[in-house]
Amino acid sequence: MIPDVTQQGRPPSSDSLPPTPNFPVVYFHGVTKSYGRIHALSNITLALSGGVTGLLGMNGAGKSTLFKLLMGKLRPSAGEVKLFGTDPWKNPAPYAKVGFVPEHEKMHDWMTALDFVSTFARLHGMTRKEAQKEALRVLEFVGLADVANKEIGRFSKGMRQRTKIAHALVNDPELIILDEPLQGCDPLARTTIMNVIRELGKMGRTVLVSSHILNEIERITEQIVILHQGKLVALGNLHAIRERLDQIPHTIRIVGEDARSMAKDILDHPAVFGLSFPNETELLIQTYHFGQLHAELPRLIVENNHRVSVIDNPDDDLESLLNYLAGGSA
Amino acid sequence: MSRKKELPSLWSGLDRKAMAVAEFTLRQQRKRLSTWVVLLVGMAAMGVLTMFYIDSMTRDYEAIDNDGDSYDWDGDGYPNGQERLHGTDIHDPDSHPGLLDPPVLPDDASVWINEDDFDWDALEEGSVGYDDNGDCNVEERTESQKDANRNRIPCDIQLTLNQYSGRYSVLSDGNVDEDPDDEAYALEAIHRSFVLAIGKLGVVFLIGIFVPLFMATGLIRQEMTSGTMHFMLAKPIARSEIFLYRILGFLAIAWTYVTLLIVLLAIVTGFAGPSEGIFRFSDLGVWLSVWLAALLAIMVYSMLFCMLGVLWKHGMVLALPIAAWELGMILTTLGAPDAAILRFSVIGWAMNIVDAGAALAWSDTPLLIQMGIWGGGYGPLEGAEALNTFASTPGLNLSALATMAVSGLVLVGQAALCWFLGSTLFKSKEIE
Repeated sequence: MIPDVTQQGRPPSSDSLPPTPNFPVVYFHGVTKSYGRIHALSNITLALSGGVTGLLGMNGAGKSTLFKLLMGKLRPSAGEVKLFGTDPWKNPAPYAKVGFVPEHEKMHDWMTALDFVSTFARLHGMTRKEAQKEALRVLEFVGLADVANKEIGRFSKGMRQRTKIAHALVNDPELIILDEPLQGCDPLARTTIMNVIRELGKMGRTVLVSSHILNEIERITEQIVILHQGKLVALGNLHAIRERLDQIPHTIRIVGEDARSMAKDILDHPAVFGLSFPNETELLIQTYHFGQLHAELPRLIVENNHRVSVIDNPDDDLESLLNYLAGGSA
Repeated sequence: MSRKKELPSLWSGLDRKAMAVAEFTLRQQRKRLSTWVVLLVGMAAMGVLTMFYIDSMTRDYEAIDNDGDSYDWDGDGYPNGQERLHGTDIHDPDSHPGLLDPPVLPDDASVWINEDDFDWDALEEGSVGYDDNGDCNVEERTESQKDANRNRIPCDIQLTLNQYSGRYSVLSDGNVDEDPDDEAYALEAIHRSFVLAIGKLGVVFLIGIFVPLFMATGLIRQEMTSGTMHFMLAKPIARSEIFLYRILGFLAIAWTYVTLLIVLLAIVTGFAGPSEGIFRFSDLGVWLSVWLAALLAIMVYSMLFCMLGVLWKHGMVLALPIAAWELGMILTTLGAPDAAILRFSVIGWAMNIVDAGAALAWSDTPLLIQMGIWGGGYGPLEGAEALNTFASTPGLNLSALATMAVSGLVLVGQAALCWFLGSTLFKSKEIE
């Protein structure tokens, strides 16, 4: 382990000040976490400050491991993790400025939402009264004010998730970490939670949110970090990453009345290099210039009077993105 | 939205966190069925034992003619004791006090049962006893018969305290205090035996070890396995604090419970036990020391078992051999309270506190034991052996108060050590 020379033995200097400009809010340097010979994370270097960042990766990619390292629950096998410039494994002080929403489903079901949030608020050093007040404020913020006095055990998945988010916001944190906050939620809860996250971003907080569903993240933020098999494969703007995707072969699926006649009109397009018909009404188009073709398809269809019910992109999921990125960067 | 009003002091911050975690733990335990089952089973077990006690307090004890002088061997209507007193022949029906001048009327046989009870109050002199029925100081007897123990005091009992064993040796002149009141002795001895037995084995040992075993082993571990520990660990609070405050929350329940239990036992035995007034106030000192020992034992065991829970998922498996060891140690304290091996236990120190408290509140227990075992020279009285089993001298060869202080400090030290080890383990644990 790399010795921690910057803060050993003394309290974080940035206790009452905003994070020192030298230190990003979240800082990973060459971090590896291994279990025996399995690397859950390998050689991650990353620095984040401000804005909403989506952490994207399939199940087992290392998203939760990364969060747990950041929350001082795991000790890095190699490298350096800093939270507000402090080693979180050794010092819980930076958590005063952090809100963490764990992915675990288990909660203290016997407590009411208000109890739950205010009990943990008191661990930030609030009095009972302050905690109560702050808890009501954050429950209002996540839209649970009317059920604040109901037991968590009776909550739906989405309400539980929002209670966890409220508990993480109660100390008015500068950094909010949400581990798979949308998993298992119904569409309405998803929308509410996404709005809450976007709102936090607008308020200038640093937000880290993980998901394994690309389009969920897309709806929240453009700034993403992609993990695949414990490696950091991409970092930056989602659209920029997507543009690179255009360079690889893509499939577009069209479902319409007469697939064969549609094929005739589309075959001439220079971007198309292959066609296939899984059945009478379905057409699969292979292309190297996904963006260009995708933009022109509607015009081609309208001009030739085809009746189309579905145009979609079966490849446009996380897995193909990851396969491409992992292959390309390896 | 920033909250920078008054800066709380270090203490008030700690205090708020401590209260929050302790209160949370208390409420969490209160919501669990297992908590109530454990506490009720403990209460029921103590209740059953108390019923045996009540039974032995309300039972009739047969008055035994320990020295056999109520018999009338020659059938002349005069009990042997009365004949001896008047110097007539107990084997000759034609020799009895009725033939004396003036003639003496025969006593009822019951007069010669329990007629010569213990008179062992004047302790310091070493010479105790009083010949209530006058069958020692009979004219016909020689001086050497009257002073069989050769302390130059006729018709007395010579008591010598052995400084090392804390026991008395009894040398009687014969026919002194030789027919004690069996019931009075049995009630007093059985009462004290019960208070010590249930105090030591029941409250301090059984409750002291099993309540923490079932309730404290999972204090940290259960939260770790269920994943709910993540909420607490994401707050600005050190793991050693979480460990300590969780224990505090548990102690709030366990200490209240054991206090209630002891108060109930003290009330029941105080009214049911033999006493000149309505209530045996003299026992309260013993109950106080049982209470102190129970509080400290529960504290040490809860820290210890919570630590084992952190150490291993199946901490209970590690705790059971320790409970067995402690059982062996408490049995050792009954026989050999000064055995050096007891220093390596929790219960040995806790027992020192109870024994010291009992030595203060009932300073005459060693004497009572010796009375009963001597039994007027005719073997042990009922209750004597039980009292001899459960009463021990405090094992440190210090004064009673010093024993209490030293043992109390050792127990606090043991608890602190377990807390330190437990939080060190907890700090080095990765939480998945």
